Amino acid sequence: MKSINDRSRNIGSFVSQLDDTIIICRCEEITKGEIRQAIHDGMFTVNEIRRYLRAGMGLCQGQTCGKLVKYLIARELGVIPDQLDPATSRSPMRPVEMKVLGNEEVTHV
Amino acid sequence: MKRYDLIVVGAGPAGLSAAIEAARCGMKVAVFDENAKPGGQLFKQIHKFFGSKEHQAKIRGYKIGETLLAEADEAGVEVFLNATVAGIYLDKEVLVQIGEAMTHFKADTIIISTGAAENMVTFDGWTLPGVIGAGAAQTMMNLHGIKPGQRVLMLGSGNVGLVVSFQLMQAGCEVVALVDAAPRIGGYGVHAAKIARCGVPFYLSHTITKADGTDCVTGVTIAEFDEHFAPIPGTQKHFDVDTICLAVGLSPMSQLLKMAGCTMVDDPKRGGQVPLVSENGETSIPGLFAAGDVSGIEEASSAMIGGRMSGLAAAAYLGFLSESDKEKRLADLEVALNSLHQGMFAPGSKGKTVAKTDEGIAVSQSLLKKGYLEDTDLERFVHRSNQTDKNSGIHPVIECTQNIPCNPCQDACTKGCIKVGKTITALPQIDDASSCTGCGMCIAACSGQAIFLVDEDYAPGFASITLPYEFLPLPQKGEQGTALSRSGQPLGIAEIIDVRNAKAFDHTPLVTIKVPAGQAMTARFYQPTTQAMEQ
Ligand SMILES: Cc1cc2nc3c(=O)[nH]c(=O)nc-3n(C[C@H](O)[C@H](O)[C@H](O)COP(=O)(O)OP(=O)(O)OC[C@H]3O[C@@H](n4cnc5c(N)ncnc54)[C@H](O)[C@@H]3O)c2cc1C
Ligand code: SF4
Ligand code: SF4
Repeated sequence: MKSINDRSRNIGSFVSQLDDTIIICRCEEITKGEIRQAIHDGMFTVNEIRRYLRAGMGLCQGQTCGKLVKYLIARELGVIPDQLDPATSRSPMRPVEMKVLGNEEVTHV
Repeated sequence: MKRYDLIVVGAGPAGLSAAIEAARCGMKVAVFDENAKPGGQLFKQIHKFFGSKEHQAKIRGYKIGETLLAEADEAGVEVFLNATVAGIYLDKEVLVQIGEAMTHFKADTIIISTGAAENMVTFDGWTLPGVIGAGAAQTMMNLHGIKPGQRVLMLGSGNVGLVVSFQLMQAGCEVVALVDAAPRIGGYGVHAAKIARCGVPFYLSHTITKADGTDCVTGVTIAEFDEHFAPIPGTQKHFDVDTICLAVGLSPMSQLLKMAGCTMVDDPKRGGQVPLVSENGETSIPGLFAAGDVSGIEEASSAMIGGRMSGLAAAAYLGFLSESDKEKRLADLEVALNSLHQGMFAPGSKGKTVAKTDEGIAVSQSLLKKGYLEDTDLERFVHRSNQTDKNSGIHPVIECTQNIPCNPCQDACTKGCIKVGKTITALPQIDDASSCTGCGMCIAACSGQAIFLVDEDYAPGFASITLPYEFLPLPQKGEQGTALSRSGQPLGIAEIIDVRNAKAFDHTPLVTIKVPAGQAMTARFYQPTTQAMEQ
């Protein structure tokens, strides 16, 4: 088990910071403060933050904020970023309109 | 569903090189790229590349891209453009968005060469329009012919930040400052020197604290910071700019590899999440390879070699190439790759401070901190050739003082005046036994624009200096402007006595200025009078 999944870890209480209003995920407009608060709510992985706040689920699919979110979690948990798993990658890896995604060209050979 | 022997995702230098090698072995190859133009990063790179002849040194990036494309075409590679690979599944099946449809393709081997994406940093105002990635700036300028802004501040002094700063100036933008959080300039000294002699200041151990503006960027504040990364009060500097360019590193776009189930590692030295690969790019899944920036941020030159290696490995995997032929050809490529991985900027030297060159000469601290050689550095590095042409006193002065993998200057001089030797990272030396004709080929071939021709005895009391000048409009013979020092300080009047723009110079015009003899070793750039008046 990775130490990051140790839910009994005490990370202290949330203390607001001066730059908490800075936007981290620009696609979904999620701020640094919201992400830090979420970590204190118990979201210890990039995937959990994604599901909880939608950070990294917008148009760029976390291309811009993925690393930033990871670093925020690492700092809050007091671990090095490499220890954290990145978000799951799954198809489609680029945003696709539903009408295109549904328009699968099926040719049988 | 269409089937291929090999599917390559990404038509950058790595992907195209892989496809070419595989197709030449007889494989049926498809390459998918989400861009409208193939070539990946190469198509925005208008500068001359480093390396040696076999690495396509002194050739401009986009030209290398064009050559790769022609080779791919000739080898029978099918290149699909505007084709985004959205997913990868078991048994080497990929899902590709082409136009308004999703199409499945299948292959027996897959090479992922999707390159990298730019990193961002956050500061107050970083989401304002006008804050852009350096790569984005390059795309706007060099692919679409659009100026990203008028006045630009660049954050990041690695090669990307340095190269893009120079290109911004070429496009007619004013670069007000280069800022980096590190205490030293990260990229090649020769790239930094090109910018410093245009008068651009470097601010190291500084970072952006705030971008001003309500609807778009109107200014930026930077500050020096202490060891706790807190801004030091009183060090704030403000610049009026409309654009802030970020060149703070790249991250591999390795999502497809992760999706495929490859064993991944987080390796900060390689840029982030990368697949675990063998030296030929084979991942933990047999038949699935990774090449180029996606498996570790490097350069186009190494991406091409890595691509070729994985192309050959894929061919051998399917039996299109015998094991013994594979080994032989891979060994050659490894030698080429190793020659790139030497010197001060080798992947293994990242983050280390280098005090001396391989030759044992103390490196210029000024070059690392301010972007230019100090007069006191010249003694150690700049070697005055004794033997000059009988009819004129012209001789080359080479201001290339770091061990970088580069040697086109040596090949350029047919007179044998310049020697780099077998190790391409060695510092170029001037051979006293040969005499210089002043042909200028070395200046034009130098990717770092670090060679000058100097004639101390041009006329009584005057010296002539020939320098590379990749700016428009080209000065005219007889015109007078200002001579600038290595740090971009005005030294006095310079008269243009010659402008050469031969085809062999490949768009690096050579401008010769006449300056007082005392400035022979200090004047290194020319500023037209109109430009000086505008500022
Ligand atoms: C400003 C700048 C200056 C540089 N200067 C030099 C230099 O002087 N010398 C040097 O050697 N190197 C230089 N480099 C580095 C060099 O450009 C890169 O290392 C090199 O391009 C990496 O090649 P690649 O094939 O791995 O990736 P890329 O060139 O990035 O190509 C990747 C391709 O994959 C495509 N792609 C990505 N995802 C998908 C998907 N899901 N579906 C379909 N297609 C996809 C992309 O559209 C792209 O075309 C420079 C880089 C920059 C940014
Ligand atoms: S000017 Fe010509 S002859 Fe002189 S060093 Fe350069 S390439 Fe050689
Ligand atoms: S002087 Fe030679 S080695 Fe140095 S940058 Fe120029 S071409 Fe490369």
